[in-house]
Amino acid sequence: MTARPAFAPRWSARFGRRPMLAAGLSILGGFVLLAVLAPWIAPYDPILHSKGAELLPPSLAHPFGTDNFGRDVLSRVIWGARIDLQIAVIGVAFPFLIGTVVGTVAGFFGGWVDTVFMRLVDVVLAFPFLVLMLSIITILGPGLGSFYIAMALVGWVSYARLIRAQILVLKTQDFAVAAASLGFSRTRIMFRHLLPNALAGSLVFVMSDAVLVLLNGAAISYLGLGVQPPMAEWGIMVAEAQGFLTQAWWITLFPGLAIVTLAFGFSLTGDALADLMGVHE
Amino acid sequence: MIRNWAKAALLGLAVSTALVSVAEAQGVLTIGRREDGTTFDPIATAQNVDFWVFSNVFDVLVRVDKAGQELLPGLAESWEASADGLTYTFRLREAKFSDGSPVTAEDAAYSLTRIRDSELSLWSDSYKIIKDIQTPDAKTLVITLNGPSAPFLSTLAMPGASVVSKAAMESMGEEAFAEKPVGSGAFMVQEWRRGDRVILVKNPNYWDAANVSLDGVEWISVPDDNTRMLAVQAGELDAAIFVPFSRVAELSADPNLTMVIDPSTREDHLLLNHEHPPLDNPKVREAIDLAIDKQAIVDTVLFGQGEVANSYVPKGALYHSDDNGARGFDPEKAKALLAEAGVGDVALTYVVNAGNEVDEQIAVLLQQQLAAVGITANLQKMDPSQTWDMLINGEYDLSVMYWTNDILDPDQKTTFVLGHDVNMNYMTRYQNDTVKQLVADARLEMDPAKRAAIYAEIQKLAKADTHWIDLYYSPYISVTRKGIANFGQNPLGRFFLEETTKSE
Repeated sequence: MTARPAFAPRWSARFGRRPMLAAGLSILGGFVLLAVLAPWIAPYDPILHSKGAELLPPSLAHPFGTDNFGRDVLSRVIWGARIDLQIAVIGVAFPFLIGTVVGTVAGFFGGWVDTVFMRLVDVVLAFPFLVLMLSIITILGPGLGSFYIAMALVGWVSYARLIRAQILVLKTQDFAVAAASLGFSRTRIMFRHLLPNALAGSLVFVMSDAVLVLLNGAAISYLGLGVQPPMAEWGIMVAEAQGFLTQAWWITLFPGLAIVTLAFGFSLTGDALADLMGVHE
Repeated sequence: MIRNWAKAALLGLAVSTALVSVAEAQGVLTIGRREDGTTFDPIATAQNVDFWVFSNVFDVLVRVDKAGQELLPGLAESWEASADGLTYTFRLREAKFSDGSPVTAEDAAYSLTRIRDSELSLWSDSYKIIKDIQTPDAKTLVITLNGPSAPFLSTLAMPGASVVSKAAMESMGEEAFAEKPVGSGAFMVQEWRRGDRVILVKNPNYWDAANVSLDGVEWISVPDDNTRMLAVQAGELDAAIFVPFSRVAELSADPNLTMVIDPSTREDHLLLNHEHPPLDNPKVREAIDLAIDKQAIVDTVLFGQGEVANSYVPKGALYHSDDNGARGFDPEKAKALLAEAGVGDVALTYVVNAGNEVDEQIAVLLQQQLAAVGITANLQKMDPSQTWDMLINGEYDLSVMYWTNDILDPDQKTTFVLGHDVNMNYMTRYQNDTVKQLVADARLEMDPAKRAAIYAEIQKLAKADTHWIDLYYSPYISVTRKGIANFGQNPLGRFFLEETTKSE
């Protein structure tokens, strides 16, 4: 008889066999560290203008160069991690929560409840995603708060559909029927028995959705409707520096790379999770 | 080397997207600009993109000279005003429209009546002063005014008052005319590919056609500044207007290019909404004026291409006065004034045109400068299509706007900015009855010296009240290939393409 397998070796072994997951999680972890430690590791104040230090190319003093106001690009990229991670997390969390509840309820009850919710889904899907986002943000007024509300109002439909489809399959299976025959409440069956089994697909989708949300957030800020200056955010940095592309490529390149790398981290993690959980998108 | 590769790649993109162009015939000048025009009906637009092309397609009765200082004969060879200033008699020159028909006094009368009365006209108010127009013969035009008006002659030089062919307008209809107009300018519209380019060819019937060197002109829309500059550098375009400030130094160093920097009447200013406390307090407005380092804007955003503005009347323009009590940069005094006003923490909503690079950069700079004296400016980036309405509705505290003069006389801008008109003094909601009266007086005063004195007083009073904050004057910046000569604009924006030459 072997003893209970030690937790740590098993996980490291798993990571070893799953380089994708390891790489993805280390990228995400790296950015989280960057965001948390920003005040300590950023060499300069990200919003402080420095007259006489405008448009300096990368050097030892400014590894990523400076922008047209003399702000240190490296510091801005580091501080930008805070906002962009926040965008990815909050931008996914609310749609996920709303979509999960709606999908579970609609799938479990069926009938008119299902019809009402699913027609609502159709209505939201009938509008092009970005157009709907832009209209909502325009009505609410530019800013991150509006962006999160717009994401929540528009993004939940994908989760609702995913979860509903799972619930429809699961609720006819033996364990669900058994739970019902034992007299458990509907709430308990829905959220304790069905939902945990239905979540795997959504959790994988969360990762790829985070990529989309991140890019959306950058795009919305690029259009001037998201994060407002002088806050450092990668999308804004790219937008603001566009006019200097031919003289000062470093202002656009580094925040651009940051967006791509973070998105890559989410994708890798998502793919690895899909393998791990046996979910195929 | 890497730089060149990057350029080559960008250029490839530029060529494949914007400029799928065949080799141009020699003598055709291609000019890149941001947006395409919107119409060729002179009265139905107030936009520079249209006006700047009108001056080459149409002619006006009276022209403004290159320096933007005086009025010159246009279609009117000569004119005289009656002693009471109420009647003007114009003698028209022998000129023909592009279709070969003669330009008559009737055409001129028709054009002026149209800009005054037509529903399409955006300029009716400026021409309501015209009471009656008579055409005793084909070459004589007699205009009677409702009252004396100092700026009247200047308004005839505005591109909106271009003389159109009455016969063509009536036979084609207004809509068709707005697509392919019949004018008497140095060039005529051959084709207008909406959203892409306007193709002009030399007008053989132009009265001074012998002195026009170019065979044609193409105004090509290349919205992206970087792409447009690359196209000139690569020789795909002969010239480009709206050179970004940040690119001037770099392009000047290119041996194949010539920078064309012409003085303009453009003045950029920070609008203040006087209806929103604490901006109703003159001390707060003065403090904001003192807190803004205008030279920093000129240095950082304009890259030195411009100068600090001290008056709403542009430098070099008629009746500009330097002696108006303009304030320097003094953040300490600003703080003291704010403390004196006892307004506590000031937070203001600053509406910014999203996507306008210069606007956005000024906003970031001003935000920091205002923060230094304890004023929080919350930037609100909005689509330009919305910002205008927000200003009109008063849904703003601060916002940067600009103005370029359309006529030589300061009356037009003064009326808009300080005349207590329907536009609420250019959306600022500024109120000062003395200034209002002076603006009306200046319009009626026919003696130039006395007018100058009135305008000096207006500039002083408005500055003392901080009706808005003058930021900077900037020139028109264009770039051409070597071999293009006499390309440029006067301070009102008119291009003198009839004098431009091209040699390879």
